[in-house]
Amino acid sequence: MHILSLILILVLSSFNIVVDSHLQEDPYVRDREKMVRTQIEMRGVADEATLSSMKKVQRHLFVPPNQRENAYDDRPLPIGYGQTISQPFIVAYMTEIIRPNKNSKMLEIGTGSGYQAAVLAEIISEVYTVEIITELSNSSEKKLKELGYKNVYVKNADGYYGWKEHAPFDAIIVTAASEYIPPPLVEQLKEGGRMIIPVGSPFQTQMLMLVEKKGGKVTTKSLMPVMFVPFKRGK
Amino acid sequence: MNCFGLNIKRIFISILLLSISIIAYQLLLMHIFSITQWYHFAFMIISVALLGFGAAGSFIALFKNRLIANAPWLIPFSMLISGLLQCCAVFLSQLSFARFDSYLIFADYTQFINLIITYLIFFLPFFFGALSIGLSFIIYIDQIGKLYFFNLVGSGLGGISVLIMYSIFLPEEISSLISLLPIISALILLPMYYKKIFTVVFILSIAVSVFFFINPSPLKKSEYKSISKTLNLIDAKVVFTKNSPYGLIEVVSSPVLRYSQGLSLAYQKEVPQSKAIFLNGDWFGAIVKANNGKNEFLHFTASALPYVMNEKERVLILNAGSGIESAQAINYNINSITAVEQNSIIISLMKNEFAEDSDSLYHHKNLTIRNIDSRTFLQADTNKYDLITLPYTNSFGGGVGLNALQEQYLLTTDSFEEMFDHLNSEGVISVSSWIDYPFRNPLKVLSTIVEVLHKKNISEYKNHIAAVKSWGTITFVVKRSPLNSEEIMNIRSFCDSLMFDPIILPDLSESERTKYNSMQDEKFFEYIDEILSGHRSRFYEEYDFNIKPADDDQPYFSQFLKWKSLSYLKDVYGIRNAPFLEIGYLLVMITFIQIIIVAFVLIILPLFKTDLSRRDVRRTLPKAFLRNFGGFPEGSGKLKTLIYFGAIGSGYMFVEIIFIQRFILYFGNIIYASAAVVSSMLICSGVGSYLSSKIKGSKRNLIVLCGLIFAVLVLYKFLLTPVLQSTIGFEFFLKVVIAFSLIAVPSFLMGMPFPIGLKIISTGNKSLVAWAWGINGCLSVASSILVVIVAVEFGFAMVMFIAALSYLTAALTNVSLYHLVNKLE
Repeated sequence: MHILSLILILVLSSFNIVVDSHLQEDPYVRDREKMVRTQIEMRGVADEATLSSMKKVQRHLFVPPNQRENAYDDRPLPIGYGQTISQPFIVAYMTEIIRPNKNSKMLEIGTGSGYQAAVLAEIISEVYTVEIITELSNSSEKKLKELGYKNVYVKNADGYYGWKEHAPFDAIIVTAASEYIPPPLVEQLKEGGRMIIPVGSPFQTQMLMLVEKKGGKVTTKSLMPVMFVPFKRGK
Repeated sequence: MNCFGLNIKRIFISILLLSISIIAYQLLLMHIFSITQWYHFAFMIISVALLGFGAAGSFIALFKNRLIANAPWLIPFSMLISGLLQCCAVFLSQLSFARFDSYLIFADYTQFINLIITYLIFFLPFFFGALSIGLSFIIYIDQIGKLYFFNLVGSGLGGISVLIMYSIFLPEEISSLISLLPIISALILLPMYYKKIFTVVFILSIAVSVFFFINPSPLKKSEYKSISKTLNLIDAKVVFTKNSPYGLIEVVSSPVLRYSQGLSLAYQKEVPQSKAIFLNGDWFGAIVKANNGKNEFLHFTASALPYVMNEKERVLILNAGSGIESAQAINYNINSITAVEQNSIIISLMKNEFAEDSDSLYHHKNLTIRNIDSRTFLQADTNKYDLITLPYTNSFGGGVGLNALQEQYLLTTDSFEEMFDHLNSEGVISVSSWIDYPFRNPLKVLSTIVEVLHKKNISEYKNHIAAVKSWGTITFVVKRSPLNSEEIMNIRSFCDSLMFDPIILPDLSESERTKYNSMQDEKFFEYIDEILSGHRSRFYEEYDFNIKPADDDQPYFSQFLKWKSLSYLKDVYGIRNAPFLEIGYLLVMITFIQIIIVAFVLIILPLFKTDLSRRDVRRTLPKAFLRNFGGFPEGSGKLKTLIYFGAIGSGYMFVEIIFIQRFILYFGNIIYASAAVVSSMLICSGVGSYLSSKIKGSKRNLIVLCGLIFAVLVLYKFLLTPVLQSTIGFEFFLKVVIAFSLIAVPSFLMGMPFPIGLKIISTGNKSLVAWAWGINGCLSVASSILVVIVAVEFGFAMVMFIAALSYLTAALTNVSLYHLVNKLE
């Protein structure tokens, strides 16, 4: 009995050691869990794969060091070059709405920090992401590689043209808003595919728009306003 | 010469030069902040100037004796420091320890520290400038009429001179030039016995100015401004820069820059590349090709609606900008197009430097360009048109309240009525808007249209209005006569071919509204129907945002904020995001509250100091307060001083703003009208001040004078607008004469109460002079913000009424209540 108690104590101690070392490696685990619970689940995002991915991807590694403390706040954060990393809820919402599954091939326009691509990469098989700003494209590609995402392909190019060589896509996520829906993106969307894109005048709140392609007909649905999501005119 | 050994003429010239520099510097800073941040920071500069003037007034009141004793060197020294700081402040504010970004203030609270440092940097030149003016006023109180004349004339010239400089120099170069004036002012006043010491300082000061002129520190714009974002695009570069009174105009090119607002999903070709024009770093417009066929995409936007409804021959394009709507008209082969644009620099760019990029759009044979404000054009024009188009309403920047406080005379019911009167029997007005959320812009456009139809005694609104919605935009057309069956058919066919949905049309079924483009929040359609119904007034009251149509009295189309909706915004979007929906008006309110606090401290602080010793302040504060504010007979005159100088300070500012607003419409050019009004007023008031020295400084005269101003302003309240409306079509020169005469009379009179009042109080209690001067400065500047709030909430008629009331109050303060009460008894 005495020995059993000792073993139990040892097991529990080692568990604590594991938990502590895990917390030491990633001191934001609790912040992330809280973020998913309070900012995402409570606002209606229910897709298990999305929630799991949001819990797993270390958002604080995708923000500038001086913003790390704020990484799990309920807001977008500046990442330089006039761009921001979207609010966690927006990332989750956009991910859920395109109905990702493990066989999906998706295109992201506007890599930015690389966070959205990482969230997608945890769920689907291939993520193609295009970023027009060279510096951001390079830094996000490096970051994603460092974090071991082998199913994310980054290209530094004008997102207007999408990524024709890998089209058609099951879904397209556009994270940089524009005043119009680029025709090449509609073309590169698979029959039955979904595209989510923030659109609107750059001087106002952008609207998240869901574009669906069914039977050769393209329909849209304006979903919700998004704020702070940066835009790149002309993209 | 006087007791200080200074020649009074030198003082006059110094005050003139210093006043030129202070006003020019203030306007320059407003210009610079519009470029690097957003135009709301103009209000910040106003408050910084207030702080400088108010603090200088307090400083003088607190240390009057010591300052006066050292005045011979202190006045030129303050001028010199003011000049040097003017020269360096812009440079200093751009260094990393001070530089702030207004966008980041809401994301990174440490930016507030940088904001405070910036405040301080810009506060100092105003403080030292005001210190030397205030000291001069006190020391040479016997010459106050003339001093005030040079002060006012200098301020007037400052406004004009900076506008001239805008046309020649870049903003970052101008501060060095302006800074030379205070340095020269100081040089003029330099006493002989200090000359050796100061010669070296002056040479160094001038060297610093020259250095910053030759090597100006480039303005660093917020990275969240449209131009900064655009410059992040591949191979993006600024290909043209020109500073102008309209603002800093820059043209950016990039191989990946494209433009097409609300393009149909049916469009499958490439959107052509275009260059983009930016005004003060904000998006102004794209330069698109004019040639028919090259811009097929212009047929694929909802704004093409009026062209497919029926045949058009004569088209009027208001606020034509860089010519998108003109290109669209040309692409629809319209024979007679009149494009109205008040910004002459943009017209010049399109006709010259960028003619090739637009396929000589502004030289097109079918297009006539009129360089005038759109409303002024409408009021003077007698032609009729088949179509009158306006640019996207949100392109004015209203969507986040950025332009909430900008008068938009083109989007008022009066304006739409004028447009309606310019239509042929089959003619239409077309106006497009982005569908914002919460819904504001499209609802206000519709409410404006419905209100105009109502005024025109048309009750069946739906028979005259068609609205078509794309995935993100909505285009309204309002027809003078009812829509006929062919037009309705054309509209339906247009919608089907381009995947748009009709949302207002006679005999429209509910399902048609969402055939291609649905909305999560379908209340939008309910709101549209409410406005079209007979009980729209109730809807205006109940809706969370102000969507009641704007009129010429309250021309703030983009002011959607209702104070009661603030809690709604907070609940729905979170407090951190709420300001982004209606930021403009909120910023002004915050600035105003801040100013009230500062003004209170600056006025009250010296009030107690001049009466009580420091250690007695706390103990006797309530008593002192009662004594000074409780009644006239026993008090030392401070309450009357406060009311009198406060009333004439704010009254003057209210009149100035009213004149600017009325003459913008009269002349059709916001920049030149503002400069002309401000300068004419100040110069005429300066003449009034100069001649006031011939008027005996008595209370009776002040009562008569202020009563006269009150009477003139009451007369103007009723006559000004009708006189301007009936003479708007006159020749330019005649209009200038009329305008100047209208401005000159009240301005001349309004120049007198300040110097006469100062003279009177100086004979009794000299310590009140600096205080009175501070009150006048504080209230003038605080009123420049208050006037905006009054205009937004109650309209310009109320502004004029308050202006008149201010002078009546000033008159009444000179009627001794004590004697009045005795007589009554």
